[in-house]
Amino acid sequence: MTRVHAHWRAFLGYAVGIAAGAVAWQLIGLNSAGFVFVPLTTTLSSLGSLISDGSLPSALASSFSVYAVGEAAAIVAGAAVGLLFARRVILRRAFEPYLVALYSTPMVALIPFLLALIGLGFWPKVIVVFLFAFFPVEFATQRGAQSIAPELLDVARSFRTPEPKIWRHVVVPYTVPYLMTGVRQALARGLVGMIAAEFFLSAGGLGSLLITQSEQFDTGAMLAVTLVITLTGVILMAIGRTVERRFARWRVTS
Amino acid sequence: MSTGLASGRRVIGRLAGANGDAGGARAAASRRERTQVFLARLAAGLGILVLWQVCAMAFAPAYIARPTGILGQLPAVGGDQAFWSAAGSTLLAVVEGLAIAIVIGTVLGLVMGRMRDIDRALRLYVDSFYAMPIVALVPLLTVWFGYTPTARLAVIVMEAILPIVFSVAEGGRTLSAEFTDVARAYRAPWWRVWGGIALPASLPYLLAGIDLAIGRALVGAVVAEFIASLNGLGYYILFNVRSFRENDAMVALAVLVVFALAVRGLVGLFVRRGLPWYRAG
Repeated sequence: MTRVHAHWRAFLGYAVGIAAGAVAWQLIGLNSAGFVFVPLTTTLSSLGSLISDGSLPSALASSFSVYAVGEAAAIVAGAAVGLLFARRVILRRAFEPYLVALYSTPMVALIPFLLALIGLGFWPKVIVVFLFAFFPVEFATQRGAQSIAPELLDVARSFRTPEPKIWRHVVVPYTVPYLMTGVRQALARGLVGMIAAEFFLSAGGLGSLLITQSEQFDTGAMLAVTLVITLTGVILMAIGRTVERRFARWRVTS
Repeated sequence: MSTGLASGRRVIGRLAGANGDAGGARAAASRRERTQVFLARLAAGLGILVLWQVCAMAFAPAYIARPTGILGQLPAVGGDQAFWSAAGSTLLAVVEGLAIAIVIGTVLGLVMGRMRDIDRALRLYVDSFYAMPIVALVPLLTVWFGYTPTARLAVIVMEAILPIVFSVAEGGRTLSAEFTDVARAYRAPWWRVWGGIALPASLPYLLAGIDLAIGRALVGAVVAEFIASLNGLGYYILFNVRSFRENDAMVALAVLVVFALAVRGLVGLFVRRGLPWYRAG
């Protein structure tokens, strides 16, 4: 009985939150100048026309291809470098301060340099996504692989397990849950990189669509695109959390 | 319990130090190791710089940044009034935005962490904004605030506040019921429960939030300056790269990196000195 009650109360809490947000959006929109803020209903009709005139679908396709290529490259490279650095102490120690500095670098500030070096287009944007997403993956992988219990490695070594087999049966399975934590962070950071890259490096994608609309003071369309971007972020985060939780079962708990 | 752990560690440390010969040998080994690490780092750093220099000289046009060029431009940039005004503008804005985000974020996070109903009503929005790239709001914010430093401040606050709220709320949620039960048993007034128990207990979470917030705040500041052409390090970079003075721009980038590292270092130092019982995970 009490559990059912708690359930309803939780549901009610979420429902009230969403309803209040929607009502506030509508009311603020109705009471402000059109270029400042528009009601939810106007935003939704802007969304409808963005979809029907094809600009939103084509922007989504362009954004997604950049994002997918950049993320995939970042995950593969981050995992590889992380594992290598964890297993080769001298490399880790030598490069650690530079990795930390790069991890703290606001990567958007590199966009002008990239523009001067390789110009506009698909690949510069992919590089920006890669730069945003690489370091969380590398850090998480390295930290995971470094924390492998020495007993596991000692046992493997006492059976004269060759290094490739140690990697396959001990290092990689042990590290995957940590890697997935990095992947979840990289999914969010890569999205930031994607939008920022599209602001400055292209005529295409969601970011570039936003810039065009802001130049036209088309607030309804901007809110619609922002809504789509938020939804994309939420979905990606849900995917990241699910994957992370799925592989968390591999974690060795002692 | 926490003080027990800390004093235990101190005892172990003293024992290790008083361990005569073995301790001395270990110290010598660690000194040798430290020298080794230092040399490896020096070699790696020099290797990176040389590789960069050689690649730039062999393949890139003369205006592309390179280590010797950056070094040569250091005095000129250091004497440049525009550079200092840009650095002051950006860094002060980031500090101001962080301060605002810390105050509002801590209050909001504590309220969400301690009050279930408010948490339920707001969680969706905090989660959504935390999952989305805040830089996507920059065009909208420039429409609202104009191409002004206020727009940049708004972006910085939005970027910085989310990890803080998220983290502090988690700290509030995981606050041990033993503490609040004891407080209730002694009829502690609400403001002592919040200020005396919930706030200090969430301090490590706040610091973890700030550690995440600083990088995001810098990204937000730079994007805002790019879009709104505001005086600051981001715009200094953009302007100088466009004028084929990449070496000057690299100095500005280095200032951003050093600032981020300094703030994160301060946070880490505070955790180690001020909260020795807490280990950042």
